[in-house]
Amino acid sequence: MDQILTTCGLCSCGCAMYVRQEGGRISGVSPSAHHPVSTARLCIKGWNALPALLGEERLRTPLIRKGKHLEPTSWKEAIAYTASSLRQCHPKEIGIIGSGKLTNEECYSLAKFARSIIKTPNVDSGSRFADASATGALLATIGTSASQVDLNTIAHAGSMLIVGANVMEQLPHIGSRILDAIENGCQIVVLDPRDSKLAPLASTYIHPEPGTDLLWMRALLRAILDLKLCTDSSTELLGFEELRNSLESIGPGQLAVDTEVVKEAAETIAHNPPLVVMFGLGVMQQANSSEIVKALANIATLLGGSIVPLRGQANAQGASEMGMAHDFLPGYGMLSDPTSRKFWGIVWDCELADEVGMSAVDMIQSGDLKAMMIFGENVALSAPNSKATSAALEKLDFLAVADLYMTETAKLADIVFPACSFLEKDGTFTNIERRAQCVRRVLEPIGESRSDLDIMADIAAELGTNMQRDPKKVLNEIATGVTLYRGISYEKAGESWGYQVPLNGVIPKLIPVSAVDVPEQDDAYPLKLVSSRAIFPQHTGSVACRSSVLAREYPETYAELGEADAEKLGLRAGALIKISSKSGTLTRRLLLSDSVRRGCIHVPHYFGGDSPNALASYECDPESGVPIYKGLSVKVEAVK
Amino acid sequence: MKTTDALILKKSDALMFFASVASKMRLIAPKRFFGGDVMFDVIESPKDIVWEYGHDIYPPKRFLLPHYEDMFRYKTGKSVEVEGGIEAPMQAIVGIRSCDVTAIRFQERFFSNPIVDPYYKARLDNTVLFSLVCGKPPRKECFCMCCDAGPYLDAGFDVQLTDLGDRFLVEIGNDKGREACAPGAYMLGKAQPKDFAERKQIELQADSLFETQAYIAKAINYISNNDVPEEVWEEIAETCFRCGACTNLCPVCTCYTVDEIKLADGSYVRSRSWDSCQFAGFTREASGYNPRPTPGSRILRRFYHKASYPYIVRDGRHGCVGCGRCVFTCLADLGVPTVIKRLRRAMPKYFEPQEKAAEV
Repeated sequence: MDQILTTCGLCSCGCAMYVRQEGGRISGVSPSAHHPVSTARLCIKGWNALPALLGEERLRTPLIRKGKHLEPTSWKEAIAYTASSLRQCHPKEIGIIGSGKLTNEECYSLAKFARSIIKTPNVDSGSRFADASATGALLATIGTSASQVDLNTIAHAGSMLIVGANVMEQLPHIGSRILDAIENGCQIVVLDPRDSKLAPLASTYIHPEPGTDLLWMRALLRAILDLKLCTDSSTELLGFEELRNSLESIGPGQLAVDTEVVKEAAETIAHNPPLVVMFGLGVMQQANSSEIVKALANIATLLGGSIVPLRGQANAQGASEMGMAHDFLPGYGMLSDPTSRKFWGIVWDCELADEVGMSAVDMIQSGDLKAMMIFGENVALSAPNSKATSAALEKLDFLAVADLYMTETAKLADIVFPACSFLEKDGTFTNIERRAQCVRRVLEPIGESRSDLDIMADIAAELGTNMQRDPKKVLNEIATGVTLYRGISYEKAGESWGYQVPLNGVIPKLIPVSAVDVPEQDDAYPLKLVSSRAIFPQHTGSVACRSSVLAREYPETYAELGEADAEKLGLRAGALIKISSKSGTLTRRLLLSDSVRRGCIHVPHYFGGDSPNALASYECDPESGVPIYKGLSVKVEAVK
Repeated sequence: MKTTDALILKKSDALMFFASVASKMRLIAPKRFFGGDVMFDVIESPKDIVWEYGHDIYPPKRFLLPHYEDMFRYKTGKSVEVEGGIEAPMQAIVGIRSCDVTAIRFQERFFSNPIVDPYYKARLDNTVLFSLVCGKPPRKECFCMCCDAGPYLDAGFDVQLTDLGDRFLVEIGNDKGREACAPGAYMLGKAQPKDFAERKQIELQADSLFETQAYIAKAINYISNNDVPEEVWEEIAETCFRCGACTNLCPVCTCYTVDEIKLADGSYVRSRSWDSCQFAGFTREASGYNPRPTPGSRILRRFYHKASYPYIVRDGRHGCVGCGRCVFTCLADLGVPTVIKRLRRAMPKYFEPQEKAAEV
């Protein structure tokens, strides 16, 4: 009954936990008492979700499509079929999507596999459906696409600005630091269209109309400048004048903003340093997400504060640093930069064109691809417009999916690879505070499952190229090539509580924030959709919903509507309702709640089977290409 | 206690002594893990025992009531086959704290009355507890003194060790303890009056060093009389993260859930694992009705079990031993002492005479 120390892969906090197994099943789990994140604590997922990673429905052999059915096959046949299907396509007709659930070594190898072996520029990660809008906007402003502070620094903040994040339920270890900060007198300003668990704790709680965050942030920036609240040094920063000029007026639709409240919020965060600005998917999946992130970064910089993007997946941070994206190379080397292209061309022994590939959304939407490979991302639920997305995946000549379970995406595949969970492989995850930590094999892979690294190396071998299968050696390659990770090794990361990726010393810049039009009300779809993550579901529910303890917490999926709206629509509590947008429909049980703003409907995510993402169209934030999932126009009616 | 039951073990002999204990059973003791983490685990050699270990977080109750436990395997179909007995190896838990011993005595009573749990009983029958007196509270969160569960025991131990510097005072509490010590009995000398004097000093000093207080008696009054208004519980619950760690790590908590797990070969395992009254799904009934529908009502349920007369009558004592684990494992700050403090602070408001309140 050995107790193995590993890093939890269920969210981006990255707790250290001791896991025990007996006979291929979990026999115990406990937090590390001394690890800086876990500090003797785990959340509801950490305590309860591990057995669900090894559930009875785990895929145990590769599957191959025979007509309408997927049938078990051998690894040899599955790999050979994959390689021959890929050979029939032009490289540019192939798209590859990874996930923030993969280790750094797998993310790096996947980028290398796509660009140097398959030779396609079309490689991206599930971050495109979630947090990718933070990457470009933060690089352009604070110069690093990561949290500027450690988790434990959050506990010493004087004030916080938390925008669009259900942080208390989604990332409990950050929530716990927020409580510590409040205990020390921290003032909290929250922007969220519904009352989250932060509501009773906040000193100012703003309920913006969904989709108007940019207006509010522009107003807040304007108030900071008008009231001369910014730090002296920030006025000398590059871009100060341009920023001020861009804020001449708050912009059209400014009536939606309560200037008195904004003034109060500006004073609260300015007079209680140090300020920590956090934002979640409420921002990163909204219309104009990049502009909102830039505005938030500007606010942090003007007030001498720090910024924390609240990413969700365990290795969302690492996945982006490893270059698993269509528009940059490892270490954020831009494709437009000839030096980066040349460098990685030499390291990977390939020719890299000055060409941005297709983003994950484009791969699905454009219809130009013939083949796709998806590693660990349940695209059918995480991409927008589930119906059209599933149809697009089905239309492909070839689709290979590697996952733990028969996900909604795997059901559409021609080849399904049984992948193993983070409990069955070695590697590293980089957590939300940039800590690259060891993930250790606790038990042998279930059935014939293999790590994603092995799966891509198998395919590469069949295509005639050897790829490194040893995660420790891959990490050495990362340590030589990626500046941020220079000097890291598996041994070094294991000697202490991980390796903290340094902030690369860039001086933050201020950049202009453009005004945008507020979308007009569509009378056919009068309500706005507010989606959030409830306490336990993570990713698309493929794992957590298989935990007997967690799945029983919410016996049924639901949606919440305010009493006044329900009355207007003639809906009663407990009724089965149909929520529809131009793109899709969703059925939910109706609950009445005071926590939802008038004109909004709240739908929690990922209880397995379907997702409010189905209601989104392929409309994206123009800069980052992240689809708009928040503030969608919907209508609600009773199911007859 | 009879003086014949008190013996002396020189520290230079301790290795040999526990090696001789290990000849009859496996040793479970505090063991060093990564970065200062210490947890109870099966040890290969008495050399691995970490005597100065502070406090572990993962309570040793799991060697009697495992976190996850396979009860039996079975096959369904034409011929039903059931296999699997109770695995209960002989074991000594060395270095266990007084609070955890008290908790095990509580669980022993719970699991034997009115129905005997054969799994728990078989394990406990084969377990000898070598408890270790705390010369000082191992953590600042400890409050066993307020709960009558430590830092030393007057009864309930099989063997109790007190660290007297160069030697241990070894008190033998019952025949089970005596039998476990028998192979090494030749290393045990008779305790002298000065040993008892030293022991007394250690007790007095330990008692004076507690930093955390929990006035559990007052809380028992409030809770038993159902005096605490619902809104006080709901306010306390506002910051609860529903992780369930307070019950998972509570050495007294006994609740478990049962799963039927299908294996790859088509057979099933009935498995039981720790469960928590802090989850909505724990009390929801088949009809959908939940007698504990809100987080506040679930915290009340937990405290009703920990500190109320009906349960004291049933279980022989209140259900908190002051180990402090619920304090340091809580993502919010909702350990037993804090909640009791918040109850005490909230209550006077509700006990204010009506006339007086009207004057103000």
